[in-house]
Amino acid sequence: MKRTLYLATALAGALALATVASGQRAATPGVTSTEVVIGGTIPMTGVASAYKTVGLGAAAYFRYVNAHGGVNKRKIRYIIRDDQYDPAQTIGKTRELVEQDHVFAIFNSLGTEHNLATRPYLNAVKVPQLFVASGATTWGKDSKQWPWTIGYQPNYRAEGTIYGRYVAKTTPKARLGVLYQNDDYGKDLLAGLRNGLGKKKKLIVSTQSYNVDDPDVQSQVARLKAARSNTVMVFATPKFAIQSYVYARKLGWRPKVYVNTVSSASNVMGIAASPQVAGKKQVEGTISIVFLKDPTDPHWTRDRGIKLYRTVMKKFKGTNPKDVYNVYGMSVAHTFVEALKTAGKNPTRDSIMRAATHLNVHNDPFLLPGVIVRTTAGDRFPLDQARLERWHKGRWVTFGGLFRVR
Amino acid sequence: MRRALGIGLWLLAVAAALALFAFLPHLMSDFHSRDLARAGVFFIAIVGLNLLTGYTGQISLGHGALMAIGGYTTAALVVHEHWRDVWTIPLAGIAAGIIGFVIGLPALRLSGIYLALATFGFAVAMPSLLKKFSGLTGGTQGLRFLESSPQQVTGLTGSVTIFGHSMTQNHFLYYLTWSIGIFGFAFAWLIVRGRLGRVFRAVRDSETAAVSSGVNLAATKTLAFALSGVYAGVAGALLAIQDEIVNPLSFTFLLSILVLVGAVVGGLGSLPGLLLGALFVQYLPSLSTHVSSRSGVPDFVYGAAIIAVMILLPTGAGGLLRRVARPLTTWLYTRP
Repeated sequence: MKRTLYLATALAGALALATVASGQRAATPGVTSTEVVIGGTIPMTGVASAYKTVGLGAAAYFRYVNAHGGVNKRKIRYIIRDDQYDPAQTIGKTRELVEQDHVFAIFNSLGTEHNLATRPYLNAVKVPQLFVASGATTWGKDSKQWPWTIGYQPNYRAEGTIYGRYVAKTTPKARLGVLYQNDDYGKDLLAGLRNGLGKKKKLIVSTQSYNVDDPDVQSQVARLKAARSNTVMVFATPKFAIQSYVYARKLGWRPKVYVNTVSSASNVMGIAASPQVAGKKQVEGTISIVFLKDPTDPHWTRDRGIKLYRTVMKKFKGTNPKDVYNVYGMSVAHTFVEALKTAGKNPTRDSIMRAATHLNVHNDPFLLPGVIVRTTAGDRFPLDQARLERWHKGRWVTFGGLFRVR
Repeated sequence: MRRALGIGLWLLAVAAALALFAFLPHLMSDFHSRDLARAGVFFIAIVGLNLLTGYTGQISLGHGALMAIGGYTTAALVVHEHWRDVWTIPLAGIAAGIIGFVIGLPALRLSGIYLALATFGFAVAMPSLLKKFSGLTGGTQGLRFLESSPQQVTGLTGSVTIFGHSMTQNHFLYYLTWSIGIFGFAFAWLIVRGRLGRVFRAVRDSETAAVSSGVNLAATKTLAFALSGVYAGVAGALLAIQDEIVNPLSFTFLLSILVLVGAVVGGLGSLPGLLLGALFVQYLPSLSTHVSSRSGVPDFVYGAAIIAVMILLPTGAGGLLRRVARPLTTWLYTRP
């Protein structure tokens, strides 16, 4: 009988442990008189962990804002959950943020597939999915169907179009090879490229795709060379972009390279250009587009925005200050702060959504001069301006004017 | 008299377990019941694996792949054919049962470590197979329920009404998974107690002796594989329903290993301990990140915990339960 007693006691103990007191719910989830809680998923580990600074940069900026009084006396608490770049995990972690952490909004979650996977859920429960860290066109284009979702960066389709137009104009005899990620992100860029080439579509002699979980792109690069292409479009994430330089070098092949913004951060390019990886010669002359200030560019040393960047980073340990994705994170955090300021004294999910779709921010210190963060009810592409840039002697040099990418 | 007391205690334990099952979600935060539902998925797969490995002695490292069959059957029916997600569960079980039967065929010739390697090969090949048939499986991107047929996902907006009784989606998933889990457990218990269970154990303990007693070895082994496959398929279907997405990343060989770890920790050849095995597999990863989230530390804690369990409880949690309960059962079942 004693044993039964023990069992009963143990059971009661377990129940007591299992009981988790649930906190009081405010009228708007995630908003109290002292705090605004937001959250998002970032691949902190795994194949795409190079992007973790997109989250950390934003966290650093929020910490700076909080240290200066927050927004309407509320501190911003930004919860980052690691989804390891696996969409199945993104759904679980996003649900956790909404249902357990009761966040005000999902913010800056990274990845095209990942945000596509959670979009129907977030729209069904009417939680704002703010400033998605992906350039897929659908975030801005399909707002009628998904009113609670909005993107941030210039969209991939537009980026592809720029490269297409530039190639058609400057090198109309090029033989184009395309390496792209086999998902919506890669296909968006490819569609844009075809669009930009217009009548010169036939310049594309080979398209090769890879899957995110492929170990490498060696065979794809070999096939691009075999198709006798002399210009390669790299529509790939950093790991694969670096590999494509490496394998081209192994084949003794030096095509002209265009690399998408997703991988054109100068720290990524620096890795590719280091002698034990692909070497300077292989990377020299690469073309990309840019909309952020590069913290490693001496041109910006005395710039107000980059000075602010350095101040913020000094107080925030655990991320490399040379990493340009920090700047991206700060810019998107800056935009969120601006939206929160205009969302009223007591922001609601409706009012933040309204603010996010009526942005007109001219003073984002982290963006290239002249780049404006602007949205209207009918135009949901916050960033749509960029400049071309060329990799020359170890750093990016911009050329040509600022143009609008649509 | 003691016999009656024994039966009474036993009934009381069952009633207590059922009451715990019914009230547990109300004792914790809503989101935790989703974690528990996930533990239920492991529980079902582990019960199935235990029938095969614990009772019939056939080692399988391919149960993650069988779960993939179940998960993808559900996903394909929901996404392509617009079936209601919960109604696909039986078909997912049958599909995985058939595949289980097929991978059981090598077991007629292979045994021990060789069989383990053959099934492991199946688990390793599964993600690539799934990517190969991208028309059906969606390739690397997998199949997303919410995008293709959100109306077929039970409780999309967070609440479900059954027989006029409304509950949150997380509670619904908990009750769905664990009702199936309890049913599967009871079924396994009946099998193990009956003639078939004795045949299984005979094959495990000595194939030669079993054959000479008139056991059909081929039929027994393939039946065990098929039966175990049904459990894995149902578990995979429930996993897909909980995740609302399937992709090859969810069904890597790691899943097979996790199920085996759960079965071993729970105690091969015993049933009650499996509950603890499932909880172990579900909660240890997140508990180990509490120790320190620095890279490498959670993996180290996880590995150390498995080694510690194996040293301290060589017979798993089931063995521990038996030892703890022995004085009680001895007292109950010996005549004074």
